[in-house]
Amino acid sequence: MIAPGIKRGTAELAVLSVLEDGPLHGYEMARRIEEQTHGSLRFTLASLYPLLYKLEKRGWVRGAWETSNGGRRRRCYRLTAEGKKKLAPIRREWDELFRALKRLTKVSHA
Amino acid sequence: MPDWKALVEQRLASLALEPKEKAEVIAEVAAHMEEICEETLRLGITEEEAVQRALSRAGNWRDLQRKISAAKRSEEPMKKRVWQLWVPGFLTLILSMLFLTSLYGLGLRARLVWSGPSAILLYTPWLAGLPFFGALGAYLSSRAGGSRANALFVSVFPALALAGAFLLMFPIGFAVEGITGRHIDFGSVAAVLLKDGIGWILIPAAALLVGGLLAHALLSTQSSSQRTAMG
Repeated sequence: MIAPGIKRGTAELAVLSVLEDGPLHGYEMARRIEEQTHGSLRFTLASLYPLLYKLEKRGWVRGAWETSNGGRRRRCYRLTAEGKKKLAPIRREWDELFRALKRLTKVSHA
Repeated sequence: MPDWKALVEQRLASLALEPKEKAEVIAEVAAHMEEICEETLRLGITEEEAVQRALSRAGNWRDLQRKISAAKRSEEPMKKRVWQLWVPGFLTLILSMLFLTSLYGLGLRARLVWSGPSAILLYTPWLAGLPFFGALGAYLSSRAGGSRANALFVSVFPALALAGAFLLMFPIGFAVEGITGRHIDFGSVAAVLLKDGIGWILIPAAALLVGGLLAHALLSTQSSSQRTAMG
């Protein structure tokens, strides 16, 4: 498991990335992130919804109530054009950070 | 299956949001909890245990409440108030006064209704246009995320401003009396203001409110039908 402090920084990237594949409601979003990271990233309600509301305020995601075939109402979030635009530089930043850390740890191991 | 909405509502009771926004958050979190519970039930455990597990997986409720409030209120409350109350309020006031001035310019005058001492001066063309301005104010406030109370306050704002102006007559009168030393009969002033208040404040307020209520009802119907259509 990854420490909460590190996870906090990655949460934005995780949510935006998972929404890139299509609209999702909160539960499904949390489930997919957990599944795709093999349980390393796990969202609680307190970490997921405040983040979603912040992203919605920034205009990066848009939430709308939808009713499933079974009649269940859920709020689905989709990535907006603005969100898509923001995702690319965030990805680049994280990629740079990962590479830098990798270089650093290799140096440390040497 | 428990009533998740009630359970979540109980735990997020102090969520400091507008009622509509709060209800939406509760519905969303309740739907999430229900999914967690169903997922846990599929593992073959008892419902009671599934509910407990779902509640514990939610994390710290107080923390959730605080973080949601902070996320939703990231826009400064002062800024929010400006766009939900003051900008649409003053715009409604200015436009309704410009309308009044234009009518005067066109030569349309106020008319006395009834005769004798109970006669009231009514400006019918102006009154006929006021529901539109009330509706406009309510629409602008609602569009900025204002509550029903905000929208209705904005719609009657011109009448409230006029009432304020009428009430200013008293301190001004006291000041004039103090400066000039001339006695002012405040009883007569009050009687005149009360009578004029009917035609210039009460009836206009009602006309503005009709427009505000209609606009708000229309917007509420539209938003609920949009939500139904999404399903």
